[in-house]
Amino acid sequence: AAREVKMSAPKTIPKDAQVMIQILKDMGITEYEPRVINQMLEFTYRYVTTIIEDAKTYASHANKSNVDADDIRLAIQCRMDQSFTSPPPRDFLLEVARQKNQTPLPLIKPYTGPRLPPDRYCLTAPNYRLKSIQKKVSSSANRISVPRLSVGAVTSRPTTPTLGTPSVQSVTTKVGTPVSLTGQRFTVQIPPPSQTTTTKPTTPSTPAVSNVLINPSLIGSKNILITTNMVSQNSGGESLKRKHEDDDDYDAL
Amino acid sequence: MAAVQGGMSDADIETDIKTEPSTDGFGNNNANDGRVLSASPGSGSSTGSNKQTAAVTPEDQQTLLAVLQFLKKNKLIESVEILRREAGLPENSLDPKATESAGAGSGGAAGIVDLEGGDVSSLLSRVTGSSSAGAQAPTKAVAEDQPDVRVVLSAYSQQGDPTLYEVYYSDLKKFIETVLDCHRAELSQVFYPLFVHMYLELVYNNHESEAKAFFEKFSGDQECYYEEDLRVLSGLTKKEHMRGNETLLDFRTSKFVLRISRDSYQLLKRHLQERQNNQIWNIIQEHLYIDIFDGMPRSKSQIDAMSGSLAGEAKREANKTKVYYGLLKEPEIELPLDDEDEEAENEEGKPKKKKPKKDSMGSKSKKQDPNAPSQNRIPLPELKDSDKLDKIMYMKEATKRIRLGSDNLPSVCFYTFLNAYQGLTAVDFTDDSSLIAGGFADSTVRVWSVTPKKLRKVKSAADLNLIDKESDDVLERIMDEKTASESKIMYGHSGPVYGISFSPDRNYLLSSSEDGTVRLWSLLTFTCLVAYKGHNYPVWDTQFSPYGYYFVSGGHDRVARLWATDHYQPLRIFSGHLADITCTRFHPNSNYVATGSSDRTIRVWDVLSGNCVRIFTGHKGPIHSLAFSPNGKFLASGATDGRVLLWDIGHGLMMGELKGHTDTIYSLRFSRDGEILASGSMDNTVRLWDVMKAFDDLETDDFTAATGHIHLQDNSQELLLGTYTTKSTPVIHLHFTRRNLLLAAGAFNP
Repeated sequence: AAREVKMSAPKTIPKDAQVMIQILKDMGITEYEPRVINQMLEFTYRYVTTIIEDAKTYASHANKSNVDADDIRLAIQCRMDQSFTSPPPRDFLLEVARQKNQTPLPLIKPYTGPRLPPDRYCLTAPNYRLKSIQKKVSSSANRISVPRLSVGAVTSRPTTPTLGTPSVQSVTTKVGTPVSLTGQRFTVQIPPPSQTTTTKPTTPSTPAVSNVLINPSLIGSKNILITTNMVSQNSGGESLKRKHEDDDDYDAL
Repeated sequence: MAAVQGGMSDADIETDIKTEPSTDGFGNNNANDGRVLSASPGSGSSTGSNKQTAAVTPEDQQTLLAVLQFLKKNKLIESVEILRREAGLPENSLDPKATESAGAGSGGAAGIVDLEGGDVSSLLSRVTGSSSAGAQAPTKAVAEDQPDVRVVLSAYSQQGDPTLYEVYYSDLKKFIETVLDCHRAELSQVFYPLFVHMYLELVYNNHESEAKAFFEKFSGDQECYYEEDLRVLSGLTKKEHMRGNETLLDFRTSKFVLRISRDSYQLLKRHLQERQNNQIWNIIQEHLYIDIFDGMPRSKSQIDAMSGSLAGEAKREANKTKVYYGLLKEPEIELPLDDEDEEAENEEGKPKKKKPKKDSMGSKSKKQDPNAPSQNRIPLPELKDSDKLDKIMYMKEATKRIRLGSDNLPSVCFYTFLNAYQGLTAVDFTDDSSLIAGGFADSTVRVWSVTPKKLRKVKSAADLNLIDKESDDVLERIMDEKTASESKIMYGHSGPVYGISFSPDRNYLLSSSEDGTVRLWSLLTFTCLVAYKGHNYPVWDTQFSPYGYYFVSGGHDRVARLWATDHYQPLRIFSGHLADITCTRFHPNSNYVATGSSDRTIRVWDVLSGNCVRIFTGHKGPIHSLAFSPNGKFLASGATDGRVLLWDIGHGLMMGELKGHTDTIYSLRFSRDGEILASGSMDNTVRLWDVMKAFDDLETDDFTAATGHIHLQDNSQELLLGTYTTKSTPVIHLHFTRRNLLLAAGAFNP
């Protein structure tokens, strides 16, 4: 709550604070919390020292022994343009407005779902990426590691509801066709949901699938089509598409 | 021009004045220029042969002299000679000492001589950018030689002797005090702009002490409602102080508009032109725009009602554009013929089976309302199925609406934000009053559910794929029960949130903040979708259009921007205000936007063209709230002066004034049918006003429309229907539910 400042006896308030109180009074501000004076004094001190230091720099640059008014003026001007910018002048705004207002209003396409700017200008993309911790596919080609590839990728991307096929793709493209997988057929058991750390439980679907058949001829191509119900459901997710693009962008491991 | 020379009685000069008439055609602003050519003869001695360089216009003359001065300073003597020869300028038109002494020697009335000497050195001062007061000054002028061509072309030129400004002003004061009563009020309007411009000119030309003396002497005479401005001016004593202050710079370069009757104007003109020192006349012509009308002079109260803005009043042409204030036709929606609608149909008196055609918004006639814009004047989004369902709900609720009136006041339900510690900066309700959102000084946006139904987030895409999309309650199934809570907090802004607005379809929330961005939040996932960057300065207000898709924002950079949710850049920029825009509102037909500003004016902008179609002046303080009436014809505005003003948009006139509040009015809202206006203020009260009566009493005849004279009745007391005080909570938002229950919101402030 705003309280009136009591004017204590001069001996308890330093001179600077008295001046500040007077300034506030002159500008017509009658109600303010007592800490306002401290903040104003702090600002004043910081501003003045910044300006004077800048002016000293300019004076020494001009090989002057003393700082004079011109240096101060220059320091103030530079600081104004840097920290205390002011809005553009009116004629500039009028000109910009005139140009902008000439273009007719764009027509609205019907039935487009949420009307948002292009993805680049939205804040809807994930802004982080977790590093995957799998070993290389070729090193441990046992039947556990393959499902971990797919499931592990899921864990590393909790926000995307996919089974992580894109990340598998990125791993495999780097590594190349995993030698150990070619020519082999794997029967893979996807671990029960309790072992996974997926944030979105996909309980309804896992019991339906207990075996995954990875067709080796598909390994190494862009998409490993793990023929499970999960994938078919998730590949419908729109974010999957976006994930591909992002992975192409941030393809660094 | 003839009047200028007519005032000079010195015989020497008369001869050369005869040659002056050829320069008369240059218009009023070149008063000084006219004197330029006559000034050289004032230097007596050798310049009787002042070759009038008729080929060179006065402006060029000034520029030439400026260039010459510059060359001289840089010791480019030969160039000086060549230029002087080619331009045909007399030898000692540049010699300050000779002209100055000659000027002093020519005697005559002090004012005139000073004018003469002042003219010569004023020419030089324009060239040199330094003062020219009295005899000593020209020597100083040479010493502090600052040749600057920019000064020549700058907005302010030295209008004579600064020490005499006080004399000029007092003379004018005396004159105006002696005119007839009926003219005095009108002519007194001149005082304030003249005072400010003269003061700013003194400051701009570095006459600090004269400026201070001038200010002290005359600032007390000004009208009380200019007190804030004068306080700002009192802190402005150096030219450097003016640099960052955009509002003052705009004020300097724009013309202050005065509306004066022809008789009063003639009086003033005659007086000023017959005086010897026409500085005031020159200033008036340069900085004031006098909108002359034929008719009776206005009384003080009439003038006081309309004045107060930073740029004077509005020119009559500014309010002449046709404004389509009618409402858009509601689309035909068939009400489902089930039992629930029995009431609705029976109320309309139609047989039960018949499909009702339209909703209750007055679109009974099939004909196009001549005052309504066409449906496709601006592109609007089409109605989705969910929108149609909303509309049906709306119409059902509308039938259950309570009819308000002076005998039937609404009940008020107050939502108090506790523990906000003065941090609540913005509030909004959805149209169906199911959600309330608050913007806070800690940069968070919080949404609460007003109904017992909790807020839920939508499920993730994985889960969404699993639900049965064909089921009837699919809209329930998409919600994730685990995220149900009473309120949701949304983080994203990096500064206090000053404006907040729900979209009509309840899917989005907009918030504008001190960090310069406007953010769009999804109310399904409660995350931020887009941050619209454009204003680089605090954005004080934002609002969605009544049909969604468009939104408007206004802020510290003195422009309002119209955006669409799917464009990352604004579609329209509404520029014209002199100071920050504090409030932005859409018209119910979404074709117009009203903006209220710290320059104490309200402007109405056309969305289609971006032009300003109305300027309303009359408030004496920054405007903080605006409300359009539901029928689109009227606008209500509230400001820091505690008054609510009512405006007729079609005619562009002030229609009513509601006095009663004692502090800033931060919220205004019309009831759903437009009979009652509710206003909430910092004085912890909500007041209800009978606007039906105010609008009925309006008599707009041709004279009023043509001249803008208004006769306001002082009937605020009659129109005040009720005052409801809260314990200690300023009211910052008001909202009428669809059934005309009044909801209010504020933060408890012990």
